[in-house]
Amino acid sequence: MAFTEGFISELVGRKATVNDIPVGKVSDFLVNDPDGKFPLIDGLIIKTVQGLRFAPMDTVADVDRDGTVALTLTPKEPAPPDQDALFLIADLLDKQIVDVDGRKVVRINDIEVARAGDRMHVVAADVGVAGLMRRLGLKSFGKRFAPGIYRSVPRSMIAWDSVAPIRDANPTQVRLSVKESKLARMHPSELAGIIGDLSAPEAAAVVRQLDDETAADAFEHLDADTQKTLIDDIGTERAADIIEEMDSDDAADLLAELDEERQRELLAEMSEYTASELRELVKYPEDTAGGLMTTDYTWIYPHRTAEATIRKIREIAPTSEFIYYLFVVDREDTLLGVLSLRTLLLADPSATIHDIMDTDIITVHPDMEADDVAATIARYDLMAVPVITNDGKMLGIVTVDDAIDAIMPEDLARKIPHFTARRRGPKTEIAGV
Amino acid sequence: MNEAPVATRQRPILRRLLLVAAVLGPGFITASAGNDVGGIATYSQAGAQFGYSLLWSLIPIAVALIVVQEMATRMGCVTGKGLAALFRENFGVRTSFIAMATLFFINTLITSTEFAGIRAATEIFHVSGYISVPVALVAVFFFVLRFNNRVVERTFVVLSLVYLTYIASAILAHPDWKAVAHAAVVPSFDLRTAGWLAMLVGIIGTTISPYMQFFLQSAVVDKGSRVEDLPMARADVVNGSILAIALAGFMIIASAATIYVANQHGAHIAIPQQAGDFAVTLKPLAGPLASLLFAFGILNAGLFTATVLPLSTAYVVCEALGFEAAIDRKFSEAPVFFTLFAAGLVLGAVIVLIPGLPLLRFILFSQVLQGILLPAELVLMLIVINRKSVMGAYTNSRAANVVAWTTVIVIGCLSVVYVLGQFIPQLLGG
Repeated sequence: MAFTEGFISELVGRKATVNDIPVGKVSDFLVNDPDGKFPLIDGLIIKTVQGLRFAPMDTVADVDRDGTVALTLTPKEPAPPDQDALFLIADLLDKQIVDVDGRKVVRINDIEVARAGDRMHVVAADVGVAGLMRRLGLKSFGKRFAPGIYRSVPRSMIAWDSVAPIRDANPTQVRLSVKESKLARMHPSELAGIIGDLSAPEAAAVVRQLDDETAADAFEHLDADTQKTLIDDIGTERAADIIEEMDSDDAADLLAELDEERQRELLAEMSEYTASELRELVKYPEDTAGGLMTTDYTWIYPHRTAEATIRKIREIAPTSEFIYYLFVVDREDTLLGVLSLRTLLLADPSATIHDIMDTDIITVHPDMEADDVAATIARYDLMAVPVITNDGKMLGIVTVDDAIDAIMPEDLARKIPHFTARRRGPKTEIAGV
Repeated sequence: MNEAPVATRQRPILRRLLLVAAVLGPGFITASAGNDVGGIATYSQAGAQFGYSLLWSLIPIAVALIVVQEMATRMGCVTGKGLAALFRENFGVRTSFIAMATLFFINTLITSTEFAGIRAATEIFHVSGYISVPVALVAVFFFVLRFNNRVVERTFVVLSLVYLTYIASAILAHPDWKAVAHAAVVPSFDLRTAGWLAMLVGIIGTTISPYMQFFLQSAVVDKGSRVEDLPMARADVVNGSILAIALAGFMIIASAATIYVANQHGAHIAIPQQAGDFAVTLKPLAGPLASLLFAFGILNAGLFTATVLPLSTAYVVCEALGFEAAIDRKFSEAPVFFTLFAAGLVLGAVIVLIPGLPLLRFILFSQVLQGILLPAELVLMLIVINRKSVMGAYTNSRAANVVAWTTVIVIGCLSVVYVLGQFIPQLLGG
């Protein structure tokens, strides 16, 4: 009977024959494009007396259910080097992968494949006890002597669509077309949790697979130690790209943890605009309004109409983090008033911002202590509070979530399951969802 | 508004367990955990039975210990993975499963020797083992589950300093320092005397326990040590190993200067077989204070290792077989981990309480197993550490390979001779 579906542990080690003459043993499976939903196996690696040889899938004539693998041609081509393709056994079996759907790091016990026509696809990763038992050779034993128990062994399969291999992609090799990584489907905080769980080399490999924006989002959720380690591992240029994409307060926090020389190196790789902004932010102590604030706020000139402003917001919203308050400034950045999104939406479309803005503004000074900033936000039920200089110039805003982060006691953070306190950095003492 | 920020990094279990490690280094902790009840018993017996004559063996053992633990540390720093994970990734399911099953079995036996020590020590204070062992069991559970409590962590640091009392008791025993110095550097062999070789194998097995490499490497990884930290980590391993060996030496000296010397002068003191008996035997020889100190030392060692061992075993086994392992998860999230931890701990405690069980044979058996497992473990370590695909530029130097392979061969031969000796007693002049 022909093999239609099964596990690679059942195929590996089988005799490969050409015209019933043994030529070697199946030792691995090669996948050139592992990013597909159910990637195609391009060929088998056959261990012959001459060494490892590549047998393209179209030379595989027949795979017996329990017997041999029949080839039409003796495999002559040497097996390609490891970095050029994915090998199911060498690169994945017994290794850790990210289960994008279950949002955790798991170890692969076995890999399910299916054969349809002359094609063979990778279907799923087996991460359960059943896979372990199969690998231990306990499957037939279990079936025969304890069928009841064997059937009750939980099967945990992860569809390949949700499997993200952690491979240390060659760092020197420039990836021209960055396909969207499966990893990017996770929530940034979950992705950060995974990165934190991995060993340093693996964490770097994961970050290398991400686009700058996803990496930046994940970075914002990492503790300072992990951030520092990663920056060292992924190289200054890439690190600078990622930091540029981060919220300015998080980026400044990160930079503040590094020594001056490292700061300079990273800032030199960034655009002049971001670099100068970050240079300013790094100066403020982390437990003050200045240290907590982000410069990523939405500002507007007073002469615009409500309608034009709404249109503008629609344009910038996708890239802007905080759009719930609009800060009305003049050309010198002096804060004139504040406008909530609600007021704006309810206003007459032809009204000017100047007419509808609230001029009775609660503000804080950059030197104000984090506790007092949080108290201010709480007292006036704000979602964010603007930070201004003595002469009324707008510097940035402190958002309510950053304020909570800064004042939440570590003990409370520890009580929250799954996530424990970050150890350093302005957001540090906090955790929680 | 931004999505709620979530601090993400799990506090690794071993770091939490041994926050101490952040101050004193994993090497120091491993050294402390290594001088457990079984170790105390072995070293004390070596001194009582053979005087200072086995002291010299500690120097080559120290060299081997440093080389082996440096390897584990280096593997941890370079790969960021525990030894169990590396075994799994390099040798597959079967080898790791066998290794983990053996490790769990041996460690449960060792745990039971810790509880035996706790029992013996409290019985000196006239507290029945049927009370002290369950109390200790509950205390260990409490320790582990409450470990975010800094007070408990600091208690741990202080407790590990209790080991220093062995130095005091050795000095108080007024040994003949000239004889000690001579025995420490001049090797002597006494293959004809029954039990000499067994004692040597026992010393090696308890000083370089197979589980210590797993434990040390995981602790290095959890501490987040990296290649840049290697010089520091190496220094820590060297310090820890020297400390462990020095403490072993002082234990041998203490019992040699008392029990062995008294027997040489015509006394007929039976050699105590278990750690707890030493405290009793010491009383007339070294006074009630020394006896009390000794009992307290055993209690401390027992509690220390009974806490560390089942937890780190469950952690390591889960690491190899790919199960979730984290102490701050709910049971349903890491069932295998919690089950293994509880099973190892409870089994260890229960074994001690079974009346009439030949505990001594258990201890001996676990030491033989350790002696046999150690060369196997070292061979696997050597294969992985010499793989460029795993270690890059940090594969073993030739010198490290020579020392490590010599260790494998010497321990392997000793174990074979020892095991044969068990079946053919005549072989060892018995």
